[in-house]
Amino acid sequence: MNEKEFGYQIRQALNEAAGQLDYKTTYRLEQARVAAVARHRAPTEAAAPAWAPAMQTAAGARSSEGGSRLGWFGSFGVAAPVLALVVGFIGIYQWQQQQALDERISHLAAMDFAVLMDETPIGAYADKGFGALLRGETEDL
Amino acid sequence: MATAKELSDFLAGVERRAFKQAQYAVRDADSALDIVQDAMMKLSEKYSDRPAAELPLLFTRILQNATYDFFRRQKVRSTWVTLFSALSPGNDDDNTDPLETLEAMAGSQAAESAQDQVERSQVVGIIEEEVARLPARQREAFLMRYWEDMDVAETASLMGCSEGSVKTHCSRATHSLARALRARGVTL
Repeated sequence: MNEKEFGYQIRQALNEAAGQLDYKTTYRLEQARVAAVARHRAPTEAAAPAWAPAMQTAAGARSSEGGSRLGWFGSFGVAAPVLALVVGFIGIYQWQQQQALDERISHLAAMDFAVLMDETPIGAYADKGFGALLRGETEDL
Repeated sequence: MATAKELSDFLAGVERRAFKQAQYAVRDADSALDIVQDAMMKLSEKYSDRPAAELPLLFTRILQNATYDFFRRQKVRSTWVTLFSALSPGNDDDNTDPLETLEAMAGSQAAESAQDQVERSQVVGIIEEEVARLPARQREAFLMRYWEDMDVAETASLMGCSEGSVKTHCSRATHSLARALRARGVTL
């Protein structure tokens, strides 16, 4: 008997042994297989980046004909949220600036009102910083 | 790219062989099951984007690495055990229980007489024992070539050795196995 024939005979015996596994073992193997397959990533999920917007996926699903069209939609889908974010930041900055300006104006108005109504504490007039503050703030405006 | 069904079918086809191979290597059914489970998980998590045709080689490689990892962990563990205890790490009983094999046989080959079944199961048990006794590299090469149906080049690539070494391992395994089986009165 040569090596191949011998190998074939052994293979038969080993296959027989593998076919005679007890229930506990086959059950555990089956459970392991099911758990492993449950972790299998679907090809589409694996290919699409996690942060890809819904629009890109929807466009891809709707039009399967054009790769370049899909690419344009894809680029737009990525660029649009970034643009919206930048515009949002600028808007927030402008609003904060406006808020700060309004606050300063109302603060000065309150001080002017207090001076005019003679409600300012007398000690304030003796304070050099108070005068400087009033002048500085007025110059700023 | 392998689909979930392709992966499931592939695993269903190889799981028993994988378990047996791991068991021959580690000589413990529970550890072998853990190794196979790890290998399945790794294949599914990390290589699900590969084509179905690549799965057999990938799985064999992963299973091989999982087995080596087991031995590495065992070595570390036994080092600590011998450091802190004078007790031996465990007994080296063979896990092949002829009664277990007999139970598994029941009903599967109804046409054969009970005596034939017992004899056949004993022969299979002896063959398994002798395969498990082969040196690791010889057993690996022999099983990949003749059980996994891999060619010499694939086996060499998986074992990280030359094709000549694979042939030598296989030849030595065949001779050792034939001699051992003859000595135990088994003729194929």
